[in-house]
Amino acid sequence: MKTGLTISAIGHAALLLWAAFSFTSQPLSAAAPDSLPVDIISDTQFSQMMAGSKTAPKTETPKPLVDAFGEPKPAESAVAKVAEKPEIKPIPKEEPAEQKPPEPKPMEPLVEKKPPAKVEPKTDPIAEALKKEDAKKSAEAKAKAAAEKKKKPQLAFDPDQISALLDKRDPQRQASTGDTVNKEPSLGTTTGSASTLSQSEIDALRSRLAQLWNPPAGALNPQDLVVRIRVKLGRDGKLVGPPMVLTSGQGSVFEAARDGAVRALFQAQPFEMLRLDHYDLWKEMEITFDPREMIPG
Amino acid sequence: MNPADVAQTVLPLSSSDVSIFALFWQAHWIVKSVMLGLLGCSVWVWAIAIEKFKLYALTKRAMDSFEQAFWSGQSLEDLYRSLSSRPTHSMAALFVAAMREWKRSFESELRTLAGLQARIEKVMDVTIAREIERLERRLLVLATVGSAGPFVGLFGTVWGIMTSFQSIAASKNTSLAVVAPGIAEALFATAIGLVAAIPATILYNKFVSEVNKQALRLEGFADEFAAILSRQIDERAQG
Repeated sequence: MKTGLTISAIGHAALLLWAAFSFTSQPLSAAAPDSLPVDIISDTQFSQMMAGSKTAPKTETPKPLVDAFGEPKPAESAVAKVAEKPEIKPIPKEEPAEQKPPEPKPMEPLVEKKPPAKVEPKTDPIAEALKKEDAKKSAEAKAKAAAEKKKKPQLAFDPDQISALLDKRDPQRQASTGDTVNKEPSLGTTTGSASTLSQSEIDALRSRLAQLWNPPAGALNPQDLVVRIRVKLGRDGKLVGPPMVLTSGQGSVFEAARDGAVRALFQAQPFEMLRLDHYDLWKEMEITFDPREMIPG
Repeated sequence: MNPADVAQTVLPLSSSDVSIFALFWQAHWIVKSVMLGLLGCSVWVWAIAIEKFKLYALTKRAMDSFEQAFWSGQSLEDLYRSLSSRPTHSMAALFVAAMREWKRSFESELRTLAGLQARIEKVMDVTIAREIERLERRLLVLATVGSAGPFVGLFGTVWGIMTSFQSIAASKNTSLAVVAPGIAEALFATAIGLVAAIPATILYNKFVSEVNKQALRLEGFADEFAAILSRQIDERAQG
């Protein structure tokens, strides 16, 4: 037993010694995080930052370019320059171009006539005939050139002039703009949603009901007199069916308050302060009558 | 304050040593005692294991040489004389015990042959039980360390984590660099527990199977020898 114990003890000591030297912790190579500038602000500063300001400068945002919305405006003609003034269209000019070739014809008789009148004896007929031919040819050539010049705007497919078909207009055409994409951001809170009754409507309703509801004065526990009533309203702002009282309470004081609230609702109709385009929001409402809010101050 | 400055002021606090001895010295005294106890257990387990390895090897060799001598055709009287002079173990002890009972029964004046067979078997049973007890001695330590070691280590860990959380609460700083040394120290206790328990369990299973093998061999020899002696008894009773 002794030998075993000594061998074991020596073995453990050796193992511990080896562990002590080999078991070193190497720091993990984690990159130091980038430091972020942090400002400490108070609650009021934060709420001021979040609250909307009526005097905030209106930021002009450029209208975004959209591809999906808006009506595309196709170019009227592929050749026409994009400019405000429409160019004179070349089409009406084409007809005179065709008519022009006959023009030199009246010249022929003129040329024919002249020689007999003035220089007939001097010139021999051959030279005259040659001249005539020359004049004819030159006139015809002129006419042809003119005709071709006028014909150019007419788009005939010419493989040598493919480059002419390319759209070489300056990039000045108007890009189509969106109809509804660019919404001016409101200056209110970010959590504000449009589909609730506006504060003015709610306030108007509240003040009207407050005028008509007389909660029992001098109640010991005003919090017991809170009455919640669900009302259904028609499009004309009048009650549809009797109001449903949601709160239950005991005692004659509460009953008085409850009946007074129901009475106030009946008296207050029609609720004209509610706008018809919000009908979905006020066709069914839950109204809370709280005497604590009625007490002024 | 510049964030870099803050980081530099915080760092030296967390640069604690996590070498093995540092882990030990930082620990609470309960965790320390757990660690030391587990270390002692490990030493003891290996001491037992070394001893058992030696014992089983010796026993096996002794059995082999005895069987060789027994089946060599040598006279059993001679064998008994040579073996009974010194203390014997395992198979030789079995043989000596049976022969002693046999000789006593024949050498006494009244030859009590009637119950001799039963007596010899009883003596051999007792000897086998004694031998197995000798082989199995201290194996329970291995079993205990193997099963309880992890729990003891876990206790140290739980205690260490408890105290380190208390110190976190006291220092009001939850950065990982503050928490880490305490938890590493606590986990060290579990590590020692496992280091002690895993070899203990493996060795225990190995030694138990070894003991079973040798016990089976002893019983087989006992049955064979009992058969031989029973034949001798019957022959002498008739003769």
